[in-house]
Formats: sequence, structure tokens, C-alpha cells
Amino acid sequence: MFHITLSIFSQTKALENKIDLFHDKLLDAAMTFKKAIRIYLDEQRSDAFRKLSKQIKQIEHDADNLRRDIENNLYTQNLIPDLRADVLHLVENLDRVINKFDEVIYKFYAEQPAVPSEYNSRINELCDLTAECAENMAKASRAFFRDRSSVRDYSQKVYFIEHESDLSTRKLSEAIFDSDLPLANKLQLSGFINDIADIADTAEDFIDELLIFTIKRDV
Amino acid sequence: MDISFFIFLSSGLFLGWSLGASDASNIFGTAVGTKMVKFRTAAIISSIFIILGAVYAGAGTSQTLGQLGSINTLPGAFMSALAAALTIYWMVELSMPISTSQAIVGAIIGWNFFAAKPTDITILSKIVSTWVFCPILSGIIAVILYKGINLYLHKTQLHILRQDCYTRIGLILAGAFGAYALGANNIANVMGVFVTSSPLKSLDLPLGISLNATQVLFFIGGIAISTGVATYSQKVINTVGNGVMKMSPLMAWVVVVSQALVLFLFSSQNLQHFLLSHHLPTIPLVPVSSSQAVIGAVMGIGLAKGGRDLNWCLIGKITISWVATPVIAAIVCYISLFFIQNVFALEVFK
Repeated sequence: MFHITLSIFSQTKALENKIDLFHDKLLDAAMTFKKAIRIYLDEQRSDAFRKLSKQIKQIEHDADNLRRDIENNLYTQNLIPDLRADVLHLVENLDRVINKFDEVIYKFYAEQPAVPSEYNSRINELCDLTAECAENMAKASRAFFRDRSSVRDYSQKVYFIEHESDLSTRKLSEAIFDSDLPLANKLQLSGFINDIADIADTAEDFIDELLIFTIKRDV
Repeated sequence: MDISFFIFLSSGLFLGWSLGASDASNIFGTAVGTKMVKFRTAAIISSIFIILGAVYAGAGTSQTLGQLGSINTLPGAFMSALAAALTIYWMVELSMPISTSQAIVGAIIGWNFFAAKPTDITILSKIVSTWVFCPILSGIIAVILYKGINLYLHKTQLHILRQDCYTRIGLILAGAFGAYALGANNIANVMGVFVTSSPLKSLDLPLGISLNATQVLFFIGGIAISTGVATYSQKVINTVGNGVMKMSPLMAWVVVVSQALVLFLFSSQNLQHFLLSHHLPTIPLVPVSSSQAVIGAVMGIGLAKGGRDLNWCLIGKITISWVATPVIAAIVCYISLFFIQNVFALEVFK
């Protein structure tokens, strides 16, 4: 009995670490994304950008492995049976955001869009908002596991920042389509802007679900 | 020993079986329903601790029932237990929150009437007041535990997985305690009416364990309750869960501990001796309803969480059952005793 109890505690501790590590990956991805876009806008596909692009790919790959590990452990060790489906859903949605960071950076890498310098500051601002949104999403998710009373605070921040990013996206799109750029460029840039803004939207959807899971857990 | 004893005992055993089948869900319902504890584990723990509680701590509540009415023949005891069982069956059909305790008290009063024996009003009022007090006390304990746990979780910020781990261990321990308290408190409902007329003798077991005649009777009753747990409670858990509402495992723990504490308080002779020795007011040793204790705990938590509306419909049903269950049981018992005495010419009282 004592041995079984100890084993359950050590398994739980190991899984707690993996979940924490998974959240760290999301924060890493957000910061790397911000930095990579900034470098692309200044230097295009430079060595520094390539390095960051590889780095974010590695983060995405590690996060995938961690996600699979977490899912496996939750099922094989029969942990949190009443909450398992919700936690798996959360982890998958967090992973989706990491994937989106990677996809956008890869798109920049592959398509190498020509971005007129007058848009740099606005694109950087949008990327900062998106990354901040993802960071607060990670904090809200972490709080769900440890301190559910803080989930609401971080969620409110995500909603606010997502709204700001929507406004920023609109202004940027309007500015692009008002410019003299060829239509092909306009469409390509608009696509990139929407892809970046989509990350904040995904974070908002995640928060909607997280708040419901939090209420459910409190019942 | 005459085989007829076991035939007469069958109604008590049936009552025990149905008590085990229905009340185990109050102890392990949510834990099994949420897959925190396997049914097999829950059934084994419940069975062991119900028997232990019945054998070692069941005497107090039985004495109280004995003071209310000492049924002194086996056919009388058989009919009283059967009348209680039939009443429970009808109340279940009417979806009322039933209590074996209330049914058996009604049946004893029915026997008193039939045998023209006086019913001690002081004992009766003591018993009835505990029925009202039981859900209220359970609610108060649940609120204290709920507030305490919330404070603890807020301070420690335990990871959800660690919390789950502790909850699982807590549910098993609370379940064992709940089963012990259920056995101690409710064995009187099942076997209490047979105590006076039982021909059983004391028993010496290996390892120096000896059981007196009443304990042997309670051991048999405990086995009947455990059989109910093992054979039918899973079905009850699967269909009605914990019978009241969907709860998180942690809330389930609070409810089980509150209910178990209440049942324990109303059956512990040691506690009574302790209170007596310190010249403090004692708690009457009376069989109470575990289902109503659960309802009290759930409502207490609901109020503590800021719920404004009490479930008046459920409260109304409980209040009706306090009156209806014993009255119906008394009438059924009276008619049945008349029937068995005149049709089978059996002596139902001395």
C-alpha cells in the first residue's frame, strides 16, 4: 500500500513537471515568434532569422512530444479521471497555438513576402499583441492547474489584448489596401496579417473553454 | 439451533441487503461514478468496515431502539422488519427520500400498539428530534469542511494532479470511515428488532476474538448489508450516482466525511461515555438516515457557495417522509401482525 502510494505520488510529480514544461514551450514559442518577425522585417531571410525559424520548429517538435507524453500518462496512469478529457482538450489547444506560431514563421521563411518598411512598426505591434495574448493564455492555463482563482484575471487580459489585436489588424489591412502596392502584394500581406491575428483568436477561443472547465471543476 | 430462526431472520436480512444496495452509493457513489475508485475496491472496503462497525459499535443505537419497543418473539420481529421493508419499497416507488431508520421505528411502534405495550414518548421524541437534527448537523459540518478545504487549497496552491491524488486517498479513507459509521449506526435498523428474541449464543473465534450473542447477530446483519453492497449497489451507483446531484470528487469527499461524522456521532458509545464523564450534554445514540445526511451536506455546501434557493421540494419530501414513513410502517406492521397471528397462529408478542 505504502509502495503504491509512493509510486502514485512520483508519477504525479513527473506529470506535473511535464505539464509545466509544456507551458514553458508555449512561452518560448511566443517570445521566439516575436523576435523572429522583428528580425525578418529588418533583415529578411537572414542567418539570424533562419536560426530562429529552426528554433521555433524545434520548440514545436518538443511540444508535440510532450503533448503525446502527457496524453499517454493521463490515460495509462488513470489520473484525474473526471477531468481527463478536459485537460487533454486544453493541452491540444495549447499545442495548436504553438503550431500556429511555427506555421506563420515558416510561411515567412518560405514565401519571403516583401514588406514595405512603413508597415514594420504596425506589424511589430500586432506581433507583440499576439505574443502577449499567447503568454497570458499560458498563464491562465497554468493557473487552472494550480490557482483557479487567478484564471479569470489572466482571461480578462487575453480578451482585452485580443480586442486590441483585432483593431490593429483592421487598421493594418485598411492601410495595406489603401496603398499603391500591386494587388498580389496586398493580398499576400493581408494573408500574413490575418494569420498572425488568427493566433490571438485561437487564444481567445481557448480561454472561453478554459473558463467553462474552471466553473465545472468548482462544482 | 432451530432453522425457523433463519426463516424469521430473513426479513431482517432482506432489509440489510436493501440497505447495503442503496446506502453504499452515499459512501462511494461519486468516487466510483467519477472512476476515482474502482467499484471492486469500494465494495471490499465497504463490506469490511460495515461489518466492523456493526459488530463493534452497533450496540448503542440498538439499545435505544430496544428502549422504544422490545419485540420479544421471532415472528413479531420478522413481521416488523418485513413491514419496514415493504414501507421502504413503497416510498421508493413514490420517489421519496427514504430512511430505513424511520421505517423500523414506525414498525416498532406498530408492534407496541398491537402488543398493547406502552411507547416511551421521551425516547420517541429523542429519536424524532435526531431525524430533524441529522441533516442540519450534516449541513453545518459540510460547510465547515468546505470552507476549510477552500482556504487550504488557496493557501497551498496544490497542482490539480496532486489534489486529485490526495482526493483519491481521501475518498478511500472517508469511504472506510463512512462504511464503519453506517454499519455502527444502521445495524440497529436491520437487526435491532431481533436482539431480544434471538437464540444465538456467544462465539469464540481464533486469535482470541470473542463475540457476544448480539455481536454474532450483528455480524450476520453486517454480512447481509455487505452482500447488498457487493451484489446490487453498482447498479444503484450507475443509475442514480450519489442520488442527489453531480459533484466534483472533492465535494464528494466533503459530503461523505460530513455524513460519516454525523452517523458516527449518533452511534458512538465511547463519545457518549467521554461526554458523560466530563459532565457535558450527550448525543443520543439513534439510527439516522445516511441519505438525509447526504442531502443536508449537499444543501449546506450549496448555501455556502452562495446559492440563494434551497430545494424546497426536496426539503418538503424529507419532512413528509419524517411523518409518512413511520406512520405507514406502523400501520403495515399492525395489519401484518394481525394477519400472521390469526392466519398462521404464531405468537407475535409475549
